[in-house]
Amino acid sequence: MANQTPLSLLQGTLDALILKTLSWGPRHGYAIARWLEETTHDALRIEEGSLYPALYRMQQKGWITAEWGMSELGRRAKIYSLTRRGREQLRLETSQWSHFASVVSKVLQTA
Amino acid sequence: MPRGRRVRPGSFRLGGLWSAPVDQEVDEELAFHLEARRRRLIEQGMEQEAAHAEALRRFGDLERVRGQCRTIGQRMEAEMHRAELRFELRQDAGYALRMLRRSPLFTVVALLTLAIGIGANTAIFSVVHAVLLRALPYRAVGELVMIWNNYDGSLDHAAIAPAEFADLQERQKAFTAISAISRQQTNLTGECGSGTCEPERVTSYAVSPNFFDVLGARPLLGRTFVAEDGREGAERVAILSHALWARRFGADSSIIGRAIEMNGRPRTVVGVMPPPVRFPDAPVGFLTERAGLWLPYSWEQSRAESRGNQYLGVLARVRPGSGVARAQQDLDAIAAGFRTEHPDRYSEDMRWRILAVPLVEQMLGDARATLILLLAAVGMVLLIACANVANLMLARGTVRRKELAIRAALGAGRGRIVRQLLTESAVLTAGGSALGVLLASVGIRALARLDAANIPRLDDVRLDGTVLAFSLAIAVLTAVLFGLAPALQQSRADSHLVMKETSRSASDTRGGRRFRASLAVVEIALALVVLVGAGLLVRSFARLQRVDTGFDGTGVMSFQLALPRARYDSAAKITAFYEQLRARVAAAHGVQEAGLVYPLPMSGDGWSGSFEVEGQPVPPGQPEPHAEYAVVMPGYFRTMRIPLRMGRDFTSQDADGAPKVVIVDEELARRHWPGESAIGKRISVTGRDDDLVTVIGVVAHVHRDGPQLSGEPQLYLPLLQNAQTMVYVVARGPGSAASLAPALRREVRQLDPDLPVSRMQSMPHLVARAVARQRLSMLLLVAFGATALLLAALGLYGVMAIAVAQRESEIGIRLALGGGPAHVLRVVVRDGMKIALAGLGLGLLVALSLSRLVSGLLFEVGATDPLTYGAIFVTLLFVALVACYIPARRATRIDPVEAMRAS
Repeated sequence: MANQTPLSLLQGTLDALILKTLSWGPRHGYAIARWLEETTHDALRIEEGSLYPALYRMQQKGWITAEWGMSELGRRAKIYSLTRRGREQLRLETSQWSHFASVVSKVLQTA
Repeated sequence: MPRGRRVRPGSFRLGGLWSAPVDQEVDEELAFHLEARRRRLIEQGMEQEAAHAEALRRFGDLERVRGQCRTIGQRMEAEMHRAELRFELRQDAGYALRMLRRSPLFTVVALLTLAIGIGANTAIFSVVHAVLLRALPYRAVGELVMIWNNYDGSLDHAAIAPAEFADLQERQKAFTAISAISRQQTNLTGECGSGTCEPERVTSYAVSPNFFDVLGARPLLGRTFVAEDGREGAERVAILSHALWARRFGADSSIIGRAIEMNGRPRTVVGVMPPPVRFPDAPVGFLTERAGLWLPYSWEQSRAESRGNQYLGVLARVRPGSGVARAQQDLDAIAAGFRTEHPDRYSEDMRWRILAVPLVEQMLGDARATLILLLAAVGMVLLIACANVANLMLARGTVRRKELAIRAALGAGRGRIVRQLLTESAVLTAGGSALGVLLASVGIRALARLDAANIPRLDDVRLDGTVLAFSLAIAVLTAVLFGLAPALQQSRADSHLVMKETSRSASDTRGGRRFRASLAVVEIALALVVLVGAGLLVRSFARLQRVDTGFDGTGVMSFQLALPRARYDSAAKITAFYEQLRARVAAAHGVQEAGLVYPLPMSGDGWSGSFEVEGQPVPPGQPEPHAEYAVVMPGYFRTMRIPLRMGRDFTSQDADGAPKVVIVDEELARRHWPGESAIGKRISVTGRDDDLVTVIGVVAHVHRDGPQLSGEPQLYLPLLQNAQTMVYVVARGPGSAASLAPALRREVRQLDPDLPVSRMQSMPHLVARAVARQRLSMLLLVAFGATALLLAALGLYGVMAIAVAQRESEIGIRLALGGGPAHVLRVVVRDGMKIALAGLGLGLLVALSLSRLVSGLLFEVGATDPLTYGAIFVTLLFVALVACYIPARRATRIDPVEAMRAS
């Protein structure tokens, strides 16, 4: 508790972040974790393991697909990529998020 | 459930994504993550151990993540599997439809064959369902029994006397309740729903007040009877059937509590029963007609009547759990008591007992045997249809071998090909079933119109859920039956061998040919079985038609009258009316002869009893002679062309006050006065020695209850000396009987406008109706037989035609080598006839072993009648010969050069 408090993720936000990550191109789970880590400079506290159920769920929803391929480590890795529906979903979530954020910040600033 | 996820055909196998079990993949994926993180941490300068621990820490709850991923993964895989199946099914169905569209002749023949098979089965099953399977509308029907006087061999279901009924009621222990029923006729006059209406006669039953409680039937409106209703002096009440209430009173519920006029006196309606309650729903012993209304009655006051006065039907409910056998023991004990108390009436020698018969068994009786026979026959027709379509598919299969081989070579597994071929048969069956159900609904309507009176509850037949479920079941069975064998056969094709074959010589394997031949054998065998059944019924019916019934009803019209006792309250009034009526009818336009009688032959009404012959005392313990009784007016025998063998007919002088006379039939004369003239002999019909009637004539014996039933000896009493209120009028004209009806109605109306005329029916119609069930089952079986014959002939023809087509080159060589057309013809026909004879032999064996099924339905024809078997055998042999000859002829016209070049 003494160190800085990382932001907790809001429900459903993880999905949006993963979709956004994949929008730059296909990558495996670890690469997604790394990308998030680097882009946010570790500001977000994400248990890396929680990425995977989210990936499976999104795959079931048809937002992303997976294929086994070779990783830079020379091992088989499961590589995820965005589908057309995933891209639509990302657009939707992005606009919802901006709307949400602007409303919340407006409320907070007037207070 | 996510929707619309794309599943690309083939993609699931190529990536190998789903080839490893889901669990393993999850593990591998997570392990990769941990390994990658660990390496990264080491690169950043961590120790091995610490890096490992840190990677795990950052990952979080590994077990939970693993569990969640596995669950989702498995669910995804199952979904994908289903999607794959759905996709393949759609693909197969589309493919099947294209294939069927490409060979329209095959499709039409197969569809029609299946439609006939499934349609006939659906129609017959719907009848069986309505008549045999659907429960009667009463509580715990299995507990209901009818109780009869049973004289073993001579009279199975004789009525019970009120005195006997009273004793039964007091002494029985095995029944929760017992009730009595007796048939009445009720003339309805006066008001009805739509103002004024015609007087009408309806069948009514006087019943014990507890009757509906015994049945377990609740009223739709009002109440059932209570004990008070039966008492003498109680308010006169009645309960209406739904049919009568709807028809005559416009389903007006204010009828309850209203008085309506019955037999000239008012009765209060206290209840209306729901539509299915019409006891008797089907003929039960002498209770043959459905009830229009019920009246309460207690037979207490008739207790003192002679025990020979038997006119009650008895309905009882067996104690739950007691069973009919226990109830029968109880009745046997009561019967033993009757014997000791009335030794003169019940004796050991008469082989008499009081018999309990389950109501269901009695109502459905021999209809059951008929329907089971029809169901068996129609089932065989379906099997033949299946074999035929299977054969067609196989034959087409030989043409399609290449296509299938190519599919197999492209990686379709055997299971996949079987599934595809089964989909084709499913598509065919779906079409065939739809057509078949359509056919069945038409057939059912025709059936119900053909014969509403003679198969019980036939008018209840309809295509309901159960029937449709049955059709669905047989459709599935059909699809598998005719689809599976060809599918398994064809999928076995070895792709390499087939691909190498040229198209013309793409002959099928030896095994395939043998399989198709054995299908044809089975078809012919089944066809023989059905045809033998049909043949036996045809012969039996022909015998039935030729029976000399003892009368000639051509041009004779009949109708029934019941005089209301309120107005016709003396014998003099009754006979005066009859004399006037007979004179008027005889003089009516178009009428040549007329007479009156009760009961009318073939009408379903009966009357029989015992009598004594003067000078021929019956030894104690022996039964009294028994005869069918009738009362007649002068002119009856002439009208019905019943030959007078000896003596004279009644005249108007044989009336009250004149010497009492009787006419007997030749059977009775022969039994009691063999070798001497019956004229002048005297008998007693009342049982009193001082009340003798003298025989003045002898007439031919008449079949009263149906051509198939010769019945008992008969005696006729003059109506003028034995006045009674119910009577049939018969009138003969030179033309059709129907043309007399208007004149007959007019005469009655002019004589008594309030007297309803009922059951206006011609004698030929009545005779036909008496054998309507036999006619119907014969016609149906003939139709099934003809279908079976056609299908089997087509089947054999198909097999031979394909055999010839496949052996074209071989036949060509034979011809080229100088075998000669006659030789080729002989070879082909011989091959075909081998199949036919094997089928006929098998069919004979099956038919003989099933002959028991039909024996109970035959009249004067043995179930193994050699003539029928022989005729059917020869017919089928001939048809088979034709079916082989046509392809054989084609074989002789093969051009040897062409055939050899093609190969």
